[in-house]
Amino acid sequence: MTNEQHNHQHCLELFKQLSEYIDDELDESVCKEIEQHLKECILCRVCFETLKRSVDICRHTETISMPASLSKRINMLIQDAVAKKKCTTGR
Amino acid sequence: MPNKQIPKKIYDQDSELIKKINSGKQELFESLVLRYEQKLYNFGYRMCGDASDAEDLVQETFLNTFKYLKNFRFETKFKNWLYRVASSICIKKRRKSRHAPDRELSLDEFIPHEDEHMPTAIPGWASLPLDNVLNNELSHIIKEAILSLPKKYRLVIVLRDIEGFSTLETSEILNLTPSNVKVRLHRARLFLREQLKNYFSHDK
Repeated sequence: MTNEQHNHQHCLELFKQLSEYIDDELDESVCKEIEQHLKECILCRVCFETLKRSVDICRHTETISMPASLSKRINMLIQDAVAKKKCTTGR
Repeated sequence: MPNKQIPKKIYDQDSELIKKINSGKQELFESLVLRYEQKLYNFGYRMCGDASDAEDLVQETFLNTFKYLKNFRFETKFKNWLYRVASSICIKKRRKSRHAPDRELSLDEFIPHEDEHMPTAIPGWASLPLDNVLNNELSHIIKEAILSLPKKYRLVIVLRDIEGFSTLETSEILNLTPSNVKVRLHRARLFLREQLKNYFSHDK
């Protein structure tokens, strides 16, 4: 297969829909068509597998731990806001 | 008389707590902070790439949420409302950033080039078990790649692929149509794929 063949309309259509396919947001008939095409076109298959892996890597990024001091600071700010509110409504 | 549709109320794990806070037990707001601060910090860190900016974002989000909690109508999940507040703060931040300038990503720039060599197999980084691929260096690459995305695409990919919101929830949070979310997400993912491809091709 040549790259010219890859730029075929079918490949471009699939290229546009890859994320929806990964997210299972397409109709069953469209999914079947895509699956068939992926079996036949190595360039689209590489495109799909590398995109899917990029999404997987993103989904598995570690959660960045927040500093312990932040919690205290927020609660102090909220306590201040509560006190101010009570002061205003108490007037 | 016009037939006005009454919005459906959504009750979840936060609803009772919010009702109590709004009926005067404001000290309970601390429980809401405890429930979401870590997640919001992670969101802020992914969006800003900097610990101090992420802290500011969490702080500002909770202060605004506290201020406007009385206006919460239970027409969406509280969590989604909270992220809407956080996202608006992110969008409004005009401060100088070392990160990507705002620009449109076009689908065309990601279509495999004609001069690209024809692959014969799936590259190792996409075919090996995920655990064999994940490491600290890759985490850094992903962090930088996300930060180099223009903000409007970064917001969508962080909400969808890192925070785990659905397309519909993301569209609600960002006030976009679901199809707009899908378009931005696809381009953001393709951008990330390019960065990973480059990283792994140099890594050989």
